[in-house]
Amino acid sequence: MTEIAKPLDNLIHQLRERAKELNCLYEVQELLSAPNIPIDEICEGTILALPPGWQYPDVCGAQIALLGGKTYQTPIFAETPWTQSADIVAQEQIMGKVSVCYTEERPLADEGPFLKEERKLIDTIAEQFGFYLLHQQLRQVFQEQMQEEERKSEWEVILDLLKRTDPGLLTRITSKMVNYLFWNKVKEAERLIRLVNPVLHENHDTLGENRPYQQGPETGILSISDQVFTLASQHLSSSAIVENIQRWIKEDRSAFLVDVLANPGSSLAEISAAIERFHLLSPQGIELTPPRERWFRTSLIRRVLSDQPWFIGVAKDYIGIDDFGGFMRRVVFPAGSHGKLGGKSSGLFLAELILRESPQRQEYLQGIKTPKTWYLTSDSIFYFIGYNNLEDIIVQKYKDLAQVRQEYPFLINLFKNSTQPPEIIKGLSLALDDFGDVPLIVRSSSLLEDRAGAAFAGKYKSLFIANRGSKEERLEALMDAIAEVFASMFGPDPIEYRYENGLIDNHEEMGIMIQEVVGTQVGHYYLPAYAGVAFSNNDFRWSSRIRREDGLVRIVPGLGTRAVDRLSDDYPALVAPGNPNLRVNISLDEIVRYSPNKVDLINLDARSFETLEIRDLLKAHGQEYPLVNQLVSILHPDRVQVPGTRGVDFEHQECIVTFEGLISRTPFLKQVEAILKTLQEALGYPVDIEFAHDGANFYLLQCRAQSYGEDSAAAEIPSDIPNDEVIFTAKRYITNGLVSDITHIVYVDPILYNQLATQQDMIAVGQVVGRLNKILPRRQFILMGPGRWGSRGDIKLGVSITYSEINNTAMLIEIARKQRDYTPDPSFGTHFFQDLVEASIRYLPLYPDDPSIVFDEAFLTTTKSILLDILPDFAHLSEVIRVIDVPAVTGGRVLQVLMNADRELALARLTRPSQVLELEARKDRGRIYREATNLHWQWRLQAAENIGASIDPERFGVASFYVFGSANNATAGPESDIDLLIHVRGDKSQQEALLTWLEGWNNCLSEMNYQRTGYKVSGLLDVHLITDEDIRNRTSFATKIGAVSDAARPIAIGTAKKKNGN
Amino acid sequence: MNPNAYNPFEIAQEQFDHIASVLELNHAARDLLRTPIREYHFSIPVRMDDGSTNIYRAFRIQHNDARGPCKGGMRFHPLGTVDTMRALAMWNTWRCAVVDLPLGGSMGGAVCDLHNLSLGEQERLCRGWVRQIARNVGPEWDIPSPELMTSPQHMLWMLDEYETIHGAKSPGFITGKPEDIGGSSGRKESTGYGLMIAGREALKELDIKPGNTKASFQGFGNTAQHAVILYKRMGGVVTCISSWNQADQTSYAFCKKPGIDPDELLAITNPFGEINKVKAIELGYECLPGEAWVEQDVDILVPTMLENEITPEKVEKVSRRVSIIIEGADGAINPAAEGLLTQRGVKVIPDILANAGAVTSSYFEQVQSNMNYYWKQDEVLGKLDVHLTSIYIDISDFARNRKISLRDAVYLIAVDRVARACQERGWV
Repeated sequence: MTEIAKPLDNLIHQLRERAKELNCLYEVQELLSAPNIPIDEICEGTILALPPGWQYPDVCGAQIALLGGKTYQTPIFAETPWTQSADIVAQEQIMGKVSVCYTEERPLADEGPFLKEERKLIDTIAEQFGFYLLHQQLRQVFQEQMQEEERKSEWEVILDLLKRTDPGLLTRITSKMVNYLFWNKVKEAERLIRLVNPVLHENHDTLGENRPYQQGPETGILSISDQVFTLASQHLSSSAIVENIQRWIKEDRSAFLVDVLANPGSSLAEISAAIERFHLLSPQGIELTPPRERWFRTSLIRRVLSDQPWFIGVAKDYIGIDDFGGFMRRVVFPAGSHGKLGGKSSGLFLAELILRESPQRQEYLQGIKTPKTWYLTSDSIFYFIGYNNLEDIIVQKYKDLAQVRQEYPFLINLFKNSTQPPEIIKGLSLALDDFGDVPLIVRSSSLLEDRAGAAFAGKYKSLFIANRGSKEERLEALMDAIAEVFASMFGPDPIEYRYENGLIDNHEEMGIMIQEVVGTQVGHYYLPAYAGVAFSNNDFRWSSRIRREDGLVRIVPGLGTRAVDRLSDDYPALVAPGNPNLRVNISLDEIVRYSPNKVDLINLDARSFETLEIRDLLKAHGQEYPLVNQLVSILHPDRVQVPGTRGVDFEHQECIVTFEGLISRTPFLKQVEAILKTLQEALGYPVDIEFAHDGANFYLLQCRAQSYGEDSAAAEIPSDIPNDEVIFTAKRYITNGLVSDITHIVYVDPILYNQLATQQDMIAVGQVVGRLNKILPRRQFILMGPGRWGSRGDIKLGVSITYSEINNTAMLIEIARKQRDYTPDPSFGTHFFQDLVEASIRYLPLYPDDPSIVFDEAFLTTTKSILLDILPDFAHLSEVIRVIDVPAVTGGRVLQVLMNADRELALARLTRPSQVLELEARKDRGRIYREATNLHWQWRLQAAENIGASIDPERFGVASFYVFGSANNATAGPESDIDLLIHVRGDKSQQEALLTWLEGWNNCLSEMNYQRTGYKVSGLLDVHLITDEDIRNRTSFATKIGAVSDAARPIAIGTAKKKNGN
Repeated sequence: MNPNAYNPFEIAQEQFDHIASVLELNHAARDLLRTPIREYHFSIPVRMDDGSTNIYRAFRIQHNDARGPCKGGMRFHPLGTVDTMRALAMWNTWRCAVVDLPLGGSMGGAVCDLHNLSLGEQERLCRGWVRQIARNVGPEWDIPSPELMTSPQHMLWMLDEYETIHGAKSPGFITGKPEDIGGSSGRKESTGYGLMIAGREALKELDIKPGNTKASFQGFGNTAQHAVILYKRMGGVVTCISSWNQADQTSYAFCKKPGIDPDELLAITNPFGEINKVKAIELGYECLPGEAWVEQDVDILVPTMLENEITPEKVEKVSRRVSIIIEGADGAINPAAEGLLTQRGVKVIPDILANAGAVTSSYFEQVQSNMNYYWKQDEVLGKLDVHLTSIYIDISDFARNRKISLRDAVYLIAVDRVARACQERGWV
């Protein structure tokens, strides 16, 4: 029984012990977790709770000893050999000790007399106590902090934090604050600034001296940080300080961008990466002060787009930092590139943003797009050259122009056979993936192109590629096109242009724009519905009611290439957006005659750029052609009609392109006008733009300062021209231009013309003009006559001529004399206006009855006329029509007409031939590079003299040898021939031999001329053989010998042979 | 102004005086016919787009209406003078009389340059013109039609204003209307067909079958195109056609000895009547200089392009085979050249007779408009053929009886018809 009872008792005993231990723990926990009980009470309670938890409570004492604090113990507690302890630990530090002791010896158990459970208990209690103490400690710190914060202001906290975490930032902020205070006229700040800003250490004058500034002893900004902010707190409200600090901290986040942009050595890749980073950060709030933002804008514009001050000046108002993010991803550049995008790209980019940002005219500016574009930076050309070891090419511009011209075809070949560096290929491949297989145009975008005043219009190449086939083929075609555009930088035309504009020594780089061709597929062709160019200033007014600022649009179906270039065989539609109701063409004849009949497009099958007859295209694909009803009019025998709702039956109806629907039924012109006006206002100068419409959207393709071709720039009119040199001046309806080297004036006397008695005589005047047009040197004569040249239907209304009878004139001048009480409106050559435009024949109305202008009637009516020498059959008209040989009657001078639309002034004066003038001017400017190639007449004369010298007079039966015409009178141009007059006495076979011999010279001289000028003229020699009989009868060209006008110059013959013989 | 200066009205009067002498007209008839019977000179205020007002001088000259309502063109030209209009009005009287239409002659217009006027301003000008003269014109009195620088659009505006003023539809007031708004079908064919109807009658007189003849044409505009089509249908063979080439600024003659297919050529001709040189050569045409058209070995020459084209020098080059020249272009044959041709026995069908198709179809348009019933094309062209054939025979008989040229006959018969109408009305 006892055997059984024993273990049971034991168990009960053990359970009692555990219950005691648990009670003890609970009690202690209760004490610890009770809120707001002071620690003394807890400790007191705890020591009382401990002994009952132990096996022998009656002899058990307890103690809590807190480190650096009080000790709490039960009365019987003493240090005995039977003591058990546990450390109170908080944050790995011993904070005190919990101990339990037996005052008397008790039987041995697990740890002396103590049970292992009791050890666990005391440890747990000590641990709980540790937690409690930690909590108390934290709460105290927290409370203290709360109290402190109540005392300290927010900015001090920030500064404290910075002091501990980012002293660098604190330095920058302190420095900013001290500057801020200084600028806000806080006097004491000056003292502080002297401490931090070495520049103000000394007297200001020392800085001006030409010796290096001596830096004073190092001073730490950080050290005065507290002073600075104390000062700040005296002058600024707490919230103002916080606001500033916060702004500066945010700004400081963009410092990396400053570092990159301020460093001229940072590459485009670094800039691009920095922009990217900025872009990623900006959602988290990078706030920039206006000056810093502006600095970013201008720096980015300078580094990426253009460093031209005028460009930056305008662009900074429109281009934001975010705008760079988008397109930098589409810029392909070599590693370490420092290139830019070039003029064309920058111009378009800016124009797009101006249109987007302009609040005015938004109604018309919305929805204007620009085609997707990838860019190659301007220095890629040198990277390409370097990669292929073509460095020799760079000096091309300093070579003789003839050599440049000769080498150019080889150079193109060389470039095309070279490869792009791998990273560029990678970039281009990405571009192609982005574009897909839409046709592309590869355009130059050079640095010099964006300089105001040097438009380089059409000097560098633009190439279309169909972009069809496998990726490899497409990449190949793209690289081929880029190489060719690169090569055009070294072509003779741009080099010549740079010489002429004083830009040859300027550094030139060529960027590339790879642009999606705006268009849609029509059959197997790809083209836009229409495209064109538009100008702010209208320099081809066709009515006195059109003002210059009404602008001009040249528009064609299909690709805009036909609108950009002057055409010899076709006409773009012309319309003035500011005055769209005044049409160029009124009668059906005019409308049909001057409607575009060809279209440029990309043949996707043949992968080529082609020109088709619009008629053929419409017959085959009229129904698919986008916006066709806006473009064409149905042609009836007596009128044209805009297609109605039924559209056009292309099979059976004849139609012509008039753009009538587009002009009269859509806001197209308003849109163009809004674009031109907005851009002109923003940029501050007249612009020209290229545009295209794919049937869905209007695209802006290019924007630049309105360019004036060589023939349409405003002529400078000197004010000091002596009166006796001026033949006429004009002040109304002036266009820009310079007409030089006029050797002949054809003058139809308006009064005498009106008095002609018969219709036959009037017709005859037209015939004479037509004949003179064929005889006089092309573009070296001007026609002056009564109003309305070419009027149809009624001879009385003006000299009856067609365009083909005046197409060689340089200028058509209409003399509008007062009739009774009114002066007739000028005709502007309306009946062949578009022919004049395309052929660059200048038109000018004169008002001789206006007292404020010069009209030297005496010169025109009394100087010798050579009409009878040229056309002896028309003796009866010799008073009405006068042909004045200007050099002959003025001692070798020629007529020059200077026209300046800006000043609304034109002036015709007698002067020396332009080449002579130019040469002198060039010598003055030190630019005489082109002397040899430009003096076309000089080497022609030289050539004639050489031919004369080498002629064998006996062998060929030559009696004498003359040169006449442009080579003789110093007016020869690059296309001029050399007129030779050879007096022969030999027989037929000798003459034939002579002509054969001259043929050799002829071929040789033609080639020489090509090398010099790029003009291919077959048969430079124009040989006229005359006989004794001709000279006797003064027939044929024999009249040239000793003639009053353009007399032939005799040349010594056979001298070379004599020299050799001797 | 110099009194000797060229004055078209004086020239027209001189011509008339000459014919009047031949016809031995009495004094009153001469006095009446050498000047217009009525003249209206007026001013049209036109409100411009910018709000200002411009005043345009305008005229309507009615030369004679003894044979019926006057009919004549409207021209807008900046240098138009009243004497020019007087001359043209007189011409129109003769022109209608030659073709034996029951119409008189008139002319009118305004002094302006349409290049300086917007479409809106042009409309206001046209309406203003009608407002000033609406009581003195009309389908029973004087009928305007398009001429220099005026278009069917201008005619429609004028018609609309006239109908508004009169409170009634009156499509017969004006001719040259678009085909779908009161115009006549067959108009584009009529001039060209007229040339070849006259040619056919002339061949008949010479007893030559059209099927045995060849012809060469100068020009390939609307007139020539339809003349060629009708001639081919008659069995004739066209071997050469010349046309202007704008790009080269010259004309070329395109030849095909076995005969030209007009449809083939039309496919490569632009709306302006210019044949595409490259494509023509591809199609096997021989391309010669433009003047070569006159040198062809053919029976009939038809100049349709330029005034004063056949000069005495060119007559030298005309083949001996040529028996008829149809003067499609006004004044194409120089008077001296005509003398030489007549000596060679070449029959010249003068412009006023050759082009009778145009004025006849314009008359047909007016007739149909007055009825407000429009004939089908076949009917128009059938009536045209009947009418032109009969007037050719009339004039040719007259010429034969009097032993004079067709050209002289034309003027005599015209003046004679008008003078007789005046007499019968008891005017003179």
